[in-house]
Amino acid sequence: MGSYLIRNFLQRCVLLIVVSMISHAVILLAPGEPSEVDPSNPRMKPEDIAKIRAAFHLDDPLHVQYVYWMRDMVSGELTSFKDGQPVLPKIWSRFLNSLPLFVCATLIVWTLSFPVGIRAAVTRGSLYDRSTTFIAYGLISIPGFFLSYLFILWIVEGFNVPVIGMATFGMQDAHWLYRGMDQLWHLVIPSVMSALAGVAILSRYVRSQMLEVIGQDYIRTARAKGLDPDSVIYRHALRNALLPFVTMFGLMLPGLIGGSVIIEQIFAWPGIGRLGYDAILARDFPVILTINFIAAALTLAGTFLSDILYAVVDPRIRLQ
Amino acid sequence: MNAKRILLIVPLILGAVLIQSYFWVPSYETQARGNPQRLFKFIEASIGDAKILNPILHADTASGRIVDLVFDGLLDYDENLVLRPALAVAWAVSEYVYLLPNPDVRLPGGGTADAANIAAVVSAALATGQWSDLRESVSDVEVMAPMRHVEHIVDSSNDTGRIDDVVLQMPAQVRLSLDRVRPDIGARLRSVLGEDYFRTPQYLQWVVEANGVDSQRLQSHLSEMLPLIQHNPLIVFQLRRGVRFHDGHEFDAGDVKFTYDAIMDPKNLSPRTSDFEPVKAVNVVDRYTVEVVYKRLFSPAVNAWTMGILPEHLLNRSAQELEIERRGLSAVTREAFGLRDSEFNRAPVGTGSFAFVEWQSDEVIQLRANERYWDGAPQFENYYFRILPDPLTQEVEFRTGAIDIYRPEPHQIARYKQESAYQSFSGLGRNYTYIGYNNRKPLFSDPQVRKALSMAINIDDIIHYVLYGEGEAITGPYPKTTPWYDHDIAALGYDPDTALRLLQEAGWQHNADGWLEKDGREFEFNLITNNGNLVRKAVLTIAQDAWRKIGIKCTTQVFEWAVFLKDFINPGAFDAVILGWSMGADADLYQLWHSSESGFGQLNFVGYNNADADNLIERIRREYDTDEQQRLAHRLHRQIAEDQPYTFLYAKSATTVLDKKIAMRNAVGQFVSIPPTKSGDTFYYFNRWRKLEHALQ
Repeated sequence: MGSYLIRNFLQRCVLLIVVSMISHAVILLAPGEPSEVDPSNPRMKPEDIAKIRAAFHLDDPLHVQYVYWMRDMVSGELTSFKDGQPVLPKIWSRFLNSLPLFVCATLIVWTLSFPVGIRAAVTRGSLYDRSTTFIAYGLISIPGFFLSYLFILWIVEGFNVPVIGMATFGMQDAHWLYRGMDQLWHLVIPSVMSALAGVAILSRYVRSQMLEVIGQDYIRTARAKGLDPDSVIYRHALRNALLPFVTMFGLMLPGLIGGSVIIEQIFAWPGIGRLGYDAILARDFPVILTINFIAAALTLAGTFLSDILYAVVDPRIRLQ
Repeated sequence: MNAKRILLIVPLILGAVLIQSYFWVPSYETQARGNPQRLFKFIEASIGDAKILNPILHADTASGRIVDLVFDGLLDYDENLVLRPALAVAWAVSEYVYLLPNPDVRLPGGGTADAANIAAVVSAALATGQWSDLRESVSDVEVMAPMRHVEHIVDSSNDTGRIDDVVLQMPAQVRLSLDRVRPDIGARLRSVLGEDYFRTPQYLQWVVEANGVDSQRLQSHLSEMLPLIQHNPLIVFQLRRGVRFHDGHEFDAGDVKFTYDAIMDPKNLSPRTSDFEPVKAVNVVDRYTVEVVYKRLFSPAVNAWTMGILPEHLLNRSAQELEIERRGLSAVTREAFGLRDSEFNRAPVGTGSFAFVEWQSDEVIQLRANERYWDGAPQFENYYFRILPDPLTQEVEFRTGAIDIYRPEPHQIARYKQESAYQSFSGLGRNYTYIGYNNRKPLFSDPQVRKALSMAINIDDIIHYVLYGEGEAITGPYPKTTPWYDHDIAALGYDPDTALRLLQEAGWQHNADGWLEKDGREFEFNLITNNGNLVRKAVLTIAQDAWRKIGIKCTTQVFEWAVFLKDFINPGAFDAVILGWSMGADADLYQLWHSSESGFGQLNFVGYNNADADNLIERIRREYDTDEQQRLAHRLHRQIAEDQPYTFLYAKSATTVLDKKIAMRNAVGQFVSIPPTKSGDTFYYFNRWRKLEHALQ
């Protein structure tokens, strides 16, 4: 197993470099110029633009630019085109803003999907099953941003409480308890909105997974033994149905980056998704490339992790 | 069963923890809940971030808003848009009149027109009854010592903008000191000095070094710059004592002088240079007295002193050198270092009612109340200027109490006016929209025809349907909120029948196709406007339709702004145009309406040309008495309204909506609702605003 892990790890490192090269080329070759050197800006003189282009290495060959980028990123000296701030600390501070949103949304998805899905599977064909199916497909089909806007309007008009941003503006001097609760409230709406589709999808998975397991012979055996129905469902069936979900934990990792660009945009949440979005609009290459690189690294790490987790929880699987 | 219970209880607990937070959050009605300080904060939002927080450099509205709070000018506008004291407690206008000797002519008494003889003639006239009314204004008649004078002549023959210095040795001149400005003194002198004196002198006789400027150009330049009678109006400002900048340093005359010098320093590229161009010198008389000498009679120049005053001690040469040192700038940057490069522009220090605290780019600018403000500390303790680029976010934040003021879109205004949780203020802006006719074209040369065109358009309908009622009809070239606008002038009104009659009197008759025709030519022209302004586009269609109804064939076109200016407006190559002006608060209309301003790229691009109007415009800029100025402005307004070079359409009003809980503290300390102001400035009483826990009944 050890040699498998090392081999697999090295393979992924090579893959990461290939991915970074391709994405570097794609991003730089895409049409559009960084807003700092936009030739249609009437306030910029051509010689100033040439100076800035040289400072940004924009006129060097692609592979040279790639080397510059990699060198600066590894040494931590990479700075944003937009404000000259170092990219990594910038991404880190935005990441810390996004983290609570991600954690809260994930908690909602994972705690809500299981009871909903299991009940639907157990009472298959009932009114409950059919209505959750309907609602789930509804939530999957309706675009999240549309629902978010409706929800914002409803909260604002109905309750007159703020929902935009990470905290109510003007609360800087309030008691810490009020401030904390205010921040928690600001977390609620965006995380519910970003969790809705997740709940809908995951509860469908849980339902189908449970249905598959419930149809197995060993469940029939368990029932035949005379076990009470709860034991059958929650001990024998659920444990086996959980197997595929363990691997999904690993796949959540890349969601840390760019998991909720749209939600962050709508709720004016200063997170990493919005940083990436603004960077794309301004063609801030160092920021786009670095976020992209981190996302790729996390994706590879996530699949790596899920492979390992699978082996750990399912003794039938051996990695070789 | 444990697993089942956990699966049920965990989401319930999570849900409960999340939902309960709702009960802690302040709502619009209970903004002070758990947060009593909220009542002392004022929060405003802006689409764009400020650019440069410096009163002499900024050119955008966001910066202007902050600069107005952080800095004070010497003067300020009151609610009727009349100047009132601010950092200056009083100001007095007087003047010096300089008389140049004219050695080639003889005075009526027989002597040559040198300084001594001129002084003698003028003194004699003052002593006799001839000038009895002037006697009390003229305090002194002096013969000045001869002096060297350097004139800078800009070479306009090519684009290099080279400046040549011409040195003159000026002979002794006579100086009259007057305790008030007398624009008529030239005419009065004509009667005592005789017509001869006013012949243009040979300036070349005084030139010491011409530096290669040819003599013809020199003569014409000098006769303009050094007239025989030169008015030098003088404004003496008495400064307020004991005013301190936010860092504790006392404000004095040196700061005023420094601010003026900073504006005129070419390195700083100040956009305010033209406002201060008429200033000849700013002299510090003593610590609290500043004397401003002007080059010529130009009364609107005093308005420029409403601009904020900079702190000299933070920006003078030694302070700049310290900053260069501290920031370790390179030699090249050091050489070009000007006010624009200073970090002061991101952390300004002024004397205003609010002091700067912090600026987070694209997030928020924070100010705090200036407790020592000379006009009393503001009621709000903190001021926040949030940057929210999305208008929808702004509205949502306003309706939940996270912003205190909102500027609704025209279609939202009616709804906001009905909601009882808000108070709204409508103020007429200093702008107006018009249809300008190219007065040079024969088609539009007759005022009766232009009047007919105006009468054919139903302006009330435009205001009602296009502006949602957010505007007012106007009759002339001044903003309605200023004293210069004459409210007695009647609007032409919508009257297509009279319009048609006027056109028929001018010789236009309907032809077989139903179009108006004269001398075999149909009444046909092209109406244009710029792209990107939906209201103007709507007016374009409405005007076209209104004119078609009385038989005028009008085609319309919309152009991109750059093309619109370059190909049509600047060369005057258009028939009729829809445009708007944003006006200042002064009475000067020279650039917009004087016939000399109708050349290429100038602002009187419709080519309005009326000798009476020109005369009034010139007199208004030379008149320092505001009552007389108002009378002249009303006459000018009437003249332009009669000539109808434009169809004056409407002035738009701007509506602001405020939280109803914001009230104003009156003189005896009670809170009353905020009164509307005549000038339309909602923030006029801002220093006395406060937010209450509950709205006033």
